[in-house]
Amino acid sequence: MKPIKIVHLYPERMSIYGDYGNIIALRQRMDWRGIKNSVENIEVGSKIPVDADLIFIGGGQDKGQVIVSEDLALKAEPIKQFVESGGALLAVCGGYQLLGEYFISNDYGQLKGIGLFNVVSKATNDRMIGNIVVQSDRFGRLIGFENHSGSTEYIGPAQPLGRVLKGFGNNPTDKLEGIIYKNAIGTYLHGSFLPKNPKVCDWLIAKAIAKSGQSIKLKPLSDSLEKRARSSSIGRP
Amino acid sequence: MRSLFAILAAKTAFRINRLTGTGGTSLPGMLAQKIDKDILKKLVKNNFPRGVIVVTGTNGKTTTTKLIADILEANGISYVYNRTGSNMERGLITSVALESNIAGKVSAEVGLFEVDEAFLPKVCRAIQPNVILISNLFRDQLDRFGELDKIARSFRNLIEELDSTQLVLNADDPLVASLGYELENEKKVTYFGVGDYSGPKLQHDRTADSIFDPFTQEKLYYTQHYFSHLGKYRGKSGAFRRPKPDYQANNLKQKGIESIQFNINSASNTVELKIPGIFNVYNAMGAFAAVKASLKLEDDHIIKAIAGSAAAFGRSEVLNYNGREALILLIKNPTGLNQIIQTYLLTENDRLLVFIINDSYADGRDISWLWDSAIEDLAHYKGKILVGGSRADDMALRLKYAGKVDVLAESNEAELLKLILLHSSKRSKLFVLPTYTAMLSIRSQIVAGDELQKEYWQ
Repeated sequence: MKPIKIVHLYPERMSIYGDYGNIIALRQRMDWRGIKNSVENIEVGSKIPVDADLIFIGGGQDKGQVIVSEDLALKAEPIKQFVESGGALLAVCGGYQLLGEYFISNDYGQLKGIGLFNVVSKATNDRMIGNIVVQSDRFGRLIGFENHSGSTEYIGPAQPLGRVLKGFGNNPTDKLEGIIYKNAIGTYLHGSFLPKNPKVCDWLIAKAIAKSGQSIKLKPLSDSLEKRARSSSIGRP
Repeated sequence: MRSLFAILAAKTAFRINRLTGTGGTSLPGMLAQKIDKDILKKLVKNNFPRGVIVVTGTNGKTTTTKLIADILEANGISYVYNRTGSNMERGLITSVALESNIAGKVSAEVGLFEVDEAFLPKVCRAIQPNVILISNLFRDQLDRFGELDKIARSFRNLIEELDSTQLVLNADDPLVASLGYELENEKKVTYFGVGDYSGPKLQHDRTADSIFDPFTQEKLYYTQHYFSHLGKYRGKSGAFRRPKPDYQANNLKQKGIESIQFNINSASNTVELKIPGIFNVYNAMGAFAAVKASLKLEDDHIIKAIAGSAAAFGRSEVLNYNGREALILLIKNPTGLNQIIQTYLLTENDRLLVFIINDSYADGRDISWLWDSAIEDLAHYKGKILVGGSRADDMALRLKYAGKVDVLAESNEAELLKLILLHSSKRSKLFVLPTYTAMLSIRSQIVAGDELQKEYWQ
């Protein structure tokens, strides 16, 4: 079989709050099923490989996001094409913001996004911090930790990732969190996100396999530890 | 008059705390501050004829401050310091108020304070220290402190305001070193660093944050990389590069998990440090440089004191637990945990290993940092692993994704202590890696158990 290629976008500048945990979870859940996979790190100045099956982008410090925003402008078309042709994508926090239309930061003015997601974000003076629980139609209950000052709103048609049961989500008022567009997900959930939300992780893997043109059925895994970690996290303040 | 009442209030509150066994070090300071908001400034201003030293940075504050205290002690210099690591504004007020008479006079020659990064600007504007030692800036409890760049910016603004303060900076941390770069009005900066390192290294170090030139944003070029973003580096197009350290540690030789030997600037200045690991070499170098910058002491008098210094509270502290030798190693953030893995767990990989992960406010509510840590480097760890604390299940999950499945999770502390006994024998040695509140709790349990045992046998 052809190995599934994960592209980790900007790991040097956009890897804060345990973002590596998402890469670790994607790889392990493929390894445990004997699905070959590889990760290619793409930094500022490099091109998105044409054979990418899954793209991940995490969050960064505001300063790092300025440079990333400029570089993303050059990658906007390849990323959009990738998603339009069924590629799997996960964008967390700062990555979620920059794949929207724009992000207005407190210190660096307006950062241009690539407009993949129908969202705009604006920094506020209050950070939205804490454990978060989201109810998603597709994935059931999602569990994570959020830490962002950016407030995000939908512009135009958008499918939310889910409704917020506890915490903030996109912004302090809507009680909605994240976005799904085709096989791309944008979210504020850290934690790390994928290890504690194996349904989302497996969904992304399945979409990536399909993108690679292969058909492999995902064997179920024993997720007993995942379930325990999920239920003990829900009760935390 | 106002300050007199403030000092009295702090002293009284501390005594009541003692009597009721609550032992808090921040409440007395808080009361004093309520009565006189300038109490910290007043308490420090007319005291400490030989100067005030402030220690800050993400990791190693408590160990570095203790090293400086031991140097002062060994050289007969009297000092006041916030011994318990209560390092926010109120903790500082408490520590000085307790040592002062009601007129606000302290007899000690030096004031020595460990200060939380978030409180550094406010505290330093009040007390105008003679020396600020900044040891490192790593990602840490982002829910409390925010991002590194923001902390560094708040430090830079502070430094520009302070006129007579000397800076002692880690040359090997690009963000910290950049704080001394192109300073106006010729402030005195002393740099310390490490010249070479060939000891154990991690394969999964994901904690390098400040690897970009702070002025051009280009990636720095490293000729040597020790851990996280510490090493020897230079910018590509800009002039920024690692400053030449005034005090450099060379020829590091780790001796098991017992100690580490190195020399400072020349082979004749050899130090044997009783706490191992390159991170402790940085702590010792910071202490050395801060003392050299502020007091006129001979090198060998400082080195002798460093060699005699033992570990600080909960930081590689050995406690007896029912005949077992428990080495307590506080963990707070990925870089700190990585250094513990590199220094201890890769060297002695057959001991019972106990992680205790709490998510109280003081630990940081966010436990995402466990995923940034080099847990994968434990893939070949041979000893049994137990996990406890309010996030025991999260730690078990983290270990599972690092390939360690034979792990027992128990979030109840009493049950965890039973499991420890069950999985270890008398006279065996074990590692206990707790987060901050877990450390306070398990430490008191172990110490109490030890005393009970002594009473029983006596």
